Amino acid sequence: MALLELAHVSKRFGGLLAVSDVSFNLDRGEILSMIGPNGAGKTTAFNCVTGLFPITSGSITLDGEPISGLPPHRITKLGIARTFQNIRLFAFMTAVDNVMVGAHWWMKERVWDGAFRTGRARREERSVEQRALELLDLLGLSRYAGSYAREMPYGLQRRLEIARALATQPRLLLLDEPAAGLNTQEKKELMQLIARLRDEGLTILLIEHDMRLVMEVSHRIVVLDHGEKIAEGSPADVRTNPRVIEAYLGTGASNEMQSA
Amino acid sequence: MPDRFRSLFRADTGQGQRTRGNTVFWILSSTAAALVLMGWLLPWFVDAYSAGAGFSPQDALISPPTGVGTILIYVLAVTMVILVASPLVEPLARLRGTTFGRRADRIRLIAALVGFALTVVIWFLVSVIQEEPLFGSFGPGTYTDSAVWLTMYGYALAALVYGARPWVVGRQTLAFGIAVLPFGIFLPLMFHQAPDFLDWAAGSLAIYMLLALGLNVVVGFAGLLDLGYAAFFAIGAYACASFASPTHNIHWPLWILIFLGAAIASLFGAVLGAPTLRLRGDYLAIVTLGFGEIIPDLATNNVFNLTGGPNGISGIDQPKFWFLNFSTSPRWYYWSLLLVSLVVIVLLRNIERSRVGRAWVALREDEVAAASTGINTTTTKLLAFAIGASVSGLAGAFYGSIVSIVSPDDFSFSVSIAVLSIIVLGGIGNIAGVILGSFILTFVIFWVLPNMNEWSTTLSQTVHVPGLAGIDFSSYTYIIYGLALILMMLLRPGGLLPSRARQIELESGGESESLAAVQGVA
Ligand SMILES: Nc1ncnc2c1ncn2[C@@H]1O[C@H](COP(=O)(O)OP(=O)(O)O)[C@@H](O)[C@H]1O
Ligand SMILES: [Mg+2]
Repeated sequence: MALLELAHVSKRFGGLLAVSDVSFNLDRGEILSMIGPNGAGKTTAFNCVTGLFPITSGSITLDGEPISGLPPHRITKLGIARTFQNIRLFAFMTAVDNVMVGAHWWMKERVWDGAFRTGRARREERSVEQRALELLDLLGLSRYAGSYAREMPYGLQRRLEIARALATQPRLLLLDEPAAGLNTQEKKELMQLIARLRDEGLTILLIEHDMRLVMEVSHRIVVLDHGEKIAEGSPADVRTNPRVIEAYLGTGASNEMQSA
Repeated sequence: MPDRFRSLFRADTGQGQRTRGNTVFWILSSTAAALVLMGWLLPWFVDAYSAGAGFSPQDALISPPTGVGTILIYVLAVTMVILVASPLVEPLARLRGTTFGRRADRIRLIAALVGFALTVVIWFLVSVIQEEPLFGSFGPGTYTDSAVWLTMYGYALAALVYGARPWVVGRQTLAFGIAVLPFGIFLPLMFHQAPDFLDWAAGSLAIYMLLALGLNVVVGFAGLLDLGYAAFFAIGAYACASFASPTHNIHWPLWILIFLGAAIASLFGAVLGAPTLRLRGDYLAIVTLGFGEIIPDLATNNVFNLTGGPNGISGIDQPKFWFLNFSTSPRWYYWSLLLVSLVVIVLLRNIERSRVGRAWVALREDEVAAASTGINTTTTKLLAFAIGASVSGLAGAFYGSIVSIVSPDDFSFSVSIAVLSIIVLGGIGNIAGVILGSFILTFVIFWVLPNMNEWSTTLSQTVHVPGLAGIDFSSYTYIIYGLALILMMLLRPGGLLPSRARQIELESGGESESLAAVQGVA
């Protein structure tokens, strides 16, 4: 059974059908990329999956369980974590605290444990902090553990968002344009990171404009345009699909796709 | 990025941290100076009704000390001048680009230690062996020992501040606590000659400090602007008044009632919080404002015949613990409140640094991201409301017991505003700031203003300006709140002691959108 399944999902904002009858599956261990021009409805689809937007019609299931209609935190508990296109870190929390927030839902510490600093609370705090530091290390952010999120360089903020998402112990990771604004070196590191996460068995749904990255890491690609799914298939298929090339219109984009 | 910009950028925390340390340092050194000065001048003020005298400069002029006494008095005067000048000179020097080195601090430390020793010596000579010839003529028992306490405390504080400056700057919160706690503990002894001051400390300072600590959880930690906080204070006070008065003929002891008050208020906190969950910023403020008005109105209308209508509930029991009779002196109220406050401070501080505290901050910074990171925004907000309200219910229990009568007027909008002003003045989200804010604001509003009436009347008689008599300074209360709020917003938006991360609701103007708004259900 597929891990994530979208069946005929639509999302309407007033007169605008931002996502229109979109269906696709995501298998375990797979990296699926969602591409399409700006305004195609990719982020909206993410928001529907993570419970930020109620969907207008259709159904979304995780592991066969319907998740549409659940509040965001319940969906996170079920194993879907995400990053945001426009970075949404907790600006005035330190990097390590940002990551520890990701551990919030599975920590056992209750209010009174925290208030009386029971042994249990202190042990858990220590072990969670340790894990957060390991995650920061994994993402090459150790040096910034104690700095406020908003003081970190832009590229590292993107990585910190990934670290925070990973702290929620996800089965499925949604990345919304993680390479936006990164330089070549940072993009390369991101690619390695995504490959590493895949090797560790994480399923990834990726929105990305950088075709080189998309073509390299994805198993399959779904293309959206004006809210509709216009193509789905392997990178090679999608690259040569005439509808996709047309959707991207500008010859620059299609050249880019050809050359990638 | 050019180095110049990088350094500007970095300055934000590095510098901020240092400034904050310096603020604590400056506050403590000014307090030390003020205490020494007050100790010297106090006999002047209390002279009028206690015929008190001290080793104040005027005494040296009125009845000049002789021999060794003269030397002692003048050495003491030198130490005082050094310590009073220090906190004034230092910022001026920094403006002109010069700084005082270690040497200056060592001189001040010596001045503080010498001053402390001399204070003890003179107090011993005058008060214990009554070495009159040295200090002119004093009648026995006329000696103002409040002044001695104040002077000693001021010198001790100065010794701490100048003797361990790096430590004070580095561990500001701890330094602040260590400097303030003894003052809190010894306050009833220092001012035992001024019972009205003790009344103020127990009935205003301690109560408002508890209220501010509780509201700080809601506004400071969780970023939810609550303008009707007095409602929970009322609920706690009425609940406890009902269980410790002849009204229903129930007489439970206070120590049970403070838990009861906290429990009932926290329940109401959660219940009244529930309808506001989807609101943020202005909307939340308006709805909570409504609650704050409704609760006293319900009390006025004598709901379920429980609240006694406009007259409220009177004859509330005065607690008795074994030999301690609370009704004879406010000092026992004061000390129990101090103890309770300390426990509350420790618990809140722990919570702030725990899992829930992190969730509050996350919620305040970005509700959408918090929800997507697995935080249940509903329970996390309700928890903030409940915990904040419980502290206020606890304060309500004490309040009813201290004043022995609760009526709807006690819980008007002005209470909510006072508590909010305290937090804004002291530093939203920072417990140390809240403590400082409650001291400053309650001192001005509930001690200085009421006394100003009398002072200005006295002054009008001495200088023969009839216009000064009969001014009702208490009516300027709101002007003071307004000034405090405006000045803080203009000069120091984070408050006197800003919290480390002071990006808060008031400042960011609801920049963080609510989850409900994003989901399209609000
Ligand atoms: N909260 C919203 N309210 C109204 N319209 C929205 C909202 N979010 C997105 N849209 C619209 O939906 C369309 C798809 O946007 P989006 O999903 O962000 O595109 P993409 O991520 O593919 O660039 C756009 O036309 C956008 O204006
Ligand atoms: Mg997008």
